[in-house]
Amino acid sequence: MTYGDILVAQGLVKSYGGVRALDGAGIRLRGGEVHALVGENGAGKSTLVRILSGALAADEGAVRLAKDTRIAAVSQELSLFPDLTVRENLFPHQPPRRLGLLDRGAMDRAARPVLAELGLDADLGMELGELTLADQQLTEIARAVLRRPRLLILDEPTSALPAAAVDRLERVLHTLTGRGIAVLYVTHFLEEVMRFAQRVTVLRDGQVALAGVRRQEVDVPELVSAMLGGRPEQPPRRSRTVVDLPPPVVLSEVSVPGKLADVTFTVRAGEVVGVAGLQGAGHLSALEVVCGRTAVSAGRVDIGGHGRPHSLRDAVRAGVAFVPSDRKRYGLMVDRTVWENTTAVSWLALGRGGFVPSRSELVRRTVDLTERLRLRGGPYDLVARLSGGNQQKVVFAKWLATEPRIVVLDDPTRGVDVGVRGEMHRIVGELAAGGAAVLIASTDLAELTEVCDRVLVFVRGRLTGEVHGERLTEHALAVAMQQGTSASG
Amino acid sequence: MTETERAVDDAERARDQGGGPRRWRPLPRRLVRDELGVLIVLGLLIAGIGIPYPDFLDTDNLLSTAHNSVYISLMACGMVFALAMREVDLSVGGTYAMCLVVGALVVRDGTTPWLAVPVMLVTGIALGVFNALVTTLLALPSFIVTLGTLMLYRGVGLALADGKQITDLPLNDSFFTFAGGDPGGVPFALWVLLTVVAVLAVVLARTRFGARVRAIGSNPDAAAFSGIPVVRTRIQALGLSGLTTACAAALALAFYGAGDPTLGQGYELQAIAACIIGGTPLAGGRGSVVGAVAGAMILSVVAAGLVFFEIPINWTSFATGGVILVAVAADSVLRRTGRRRDK
Repeated sequence: MTYGDILVAQGLVKSYGGVRALDGAGIRLRGGEVHALVGENGAGKSTLVRILSGALAADEGAVRLAKDTRIAAVSQELSLFPDLTVRENLFPHQPPRRLGLLDRGAMDRAARPVLAELGLDADLGMELGELTLADQQLTEIARAVLRRPRLLILDEPTSALPAAAVDRLERVLHTLTGRGIAVLYVTHFLEEVMRFAQRVTVLRDGQVALAGVRRQEVDVPELVSAMLGGRPEQPPRRSRTVVDLPPPVVLSEVSVPGKLADVTFTVRAGEVVGVAGLQGAGHLSALEVVCGRTAVSAGRVDIGGHGRPHSLRDAVRAGVAFVPSDRKRYGLMVDRTVWENTTAVSWLALGRGGFVPSRSELVRRTVDLTERLRLRGGPYDLVARLSGGNQQKVVFAKWLATEPRIVVLDDPTRGVDVGVRGEMHRIVGELAAGGAAVLIASTDLAELTEVCDRVLVFVRGRLTGEVHGERLTEHALAVAMQQGTSASG
Repeated sequence: MTETERAVDDAERARDQGGGPRRWRPLPRRLVRDELGVLIVLGLLIAGIGIPYPDFLDTDNLLSTAHNSVYISLMACGMVFALAMREVDLSVGGTYAMCLVVGALVVRDGTTPWLAVPVMLVTGIALGVFNALVTTLLALPSFIVTLGTLMLYRGVGLALADGKQITDLPLNDSFFTFAGGDPGGVPFALWVLLTVVAVLAVVLARTRFGARVRAIGSNPDAAAFSGIPVVRTRIQALGLSGLTTACAAALALAFYGAGDPTLGQGYELQAIAACIIGGTPLAGGRGSVVGAVAGAMILSVVAAGLVFFEIPINWTSFATGGVILVAVAADSVLRRTGRRRDK
């Protein structure tokens, strides 16, 4: 059975500041079809979704809807209320009422058939927070379906789900499209695209790289090529001298329940090693193990010759520096001066300088570091008044002050401009040249290919491969990250 | 780096290091600036009472007014550390009562009264550490834990004292005549307070411990991610709060010459109020020991002033509440205009 067009968008343009997030993108969604939308981070997926769902107005272009089309969107971040019951979560806006009180009977009568159809077997009176993450997500989908939409937008629905829940979602999608609903399915998982979707649109740099082609007409490597485009590859990397000492980072058959399974790798002094994977693949969990933030259920961990760190503080004392991705939350005291931030680890955590150090000495050390990093700002400037790039330099400075032997970087150049990004990469190279073992994760695959000697690829909690040398390209990484993603595990 | 960039850098460095407006201000000047609001309010209050009633400015009266604030002041000095790291110690009233009773019992049992002092101080530290351990082990907010231990500690004090004042202490002993007296014409308790304020002001502003407390209060997540020992610092800060409270209890024992388990009711809220008046925000990250003591003095001056204005005793609470609001508002306004000048 075929249904007509539900939504046609053409020539959409949207700029933020000077940056064009969307540059003439469009999409055509038909009833009864799952239409996948893929693209790299920053390709414009979320901007397009927000325009289609009406949350954002486009600068140019038009979105035409079929008559009486209601759109419901389920976002990546669940927008549910964990302390309310499932029933209350399903009717957030205008719950049915009788005599001014919530009419539970009417709510249940409306909800039960939808839940049964979606295969969610939950007590409506239960607190939502008691459900598994997968059931919570299904609740959110149920809430969207209860609004009787003709277009349902699912933004990254499977990034947090175990394999069994993905199978269930596939059945749910089948049920929904069987009723003539159009589904726009935004995802990073290309194997899911091949499994669920009838059509796929690829965005790249705000433009359409592949427009609604049928699933049968493409394969995963072609999708990756479309996502990355014909970008020139990096020049061959210079080889680093790796010091032949016991490696500072050793993970041997390490497992973390629900996150990592049987992972083994080492990082040697003088080496820059990347970790890559899709969301929830376990590459970030590996960093957490190195930093002492996650307990392991099996395997051996040795960090800097001190065994397994049991806390972040343990790890810091073993010589680990950790630059987190969310610098404002985990990296900085923004209401403090530069020197107070740069001395937070070396003095406050490791005690170098003693109980009452001379302040001018602390400031002098700060000035040394900020000069080395070319930080624009004096030691007495408030961090909140610095630019994002300079704030990130403050985070680097506070760790450089400890002369770390193991450097763990999680998305170190997020939200900084190209110039600062280059400087950060130079510092990473200097650290490795100085004998540090560097472990780096990044949402920006190009960054990994630029700075890493080799990249470890994680898929669903397992270390599935390593890309290095000439073969270390964005394309190779992206393909390796996708392999085996839909295998049950 | 290009020539221009280098020139700009050099200029910035010159500005930062030499003489410019950004230069690090010496400690006394910073103290005056940060505590300016609350000190002005204190001065205005004293003037406001002293001009119509010159008797208020009498040295003896001023000293006794200050003496009345000592117990709250000492608690506030410790409380600043708790608040600056986003904790709160509601148990100080109970700690005060229990330390007082323990000290009085030790003295009544015939020990040299001076020996009761270390016993009380250790008790106070132990109670504070217990607060920190329970907070940490149960992963509860210290607000909740110390709400419980407030009653718990006072209950222990009441039980130990059998619900009665502990009297019959050897009041002729030098402990009661000296520590409860006025050496050099000034109450001994004020000398102690002065010392504690001087030491703790430096500890908070200049030591590693003080910087850790402020770092944790400024951003607890970043502190943990920097490897700062959050748990140990919490134990130390709440232990310090117990210590200054025990200090207050020892001075009270010397002054009153009896152990009353019902003393110190509501002191915890007054101590917190004093800290807030003195510019220590509940959100943590900053704190002022001097400000907290000035805050406690303000509360004491208001209470004394009401007597001079012959305001009925039933309005005391009302007036105190009003002063807290006015002081906090004045400080906030001064701070905001100060910040505007900075820009």
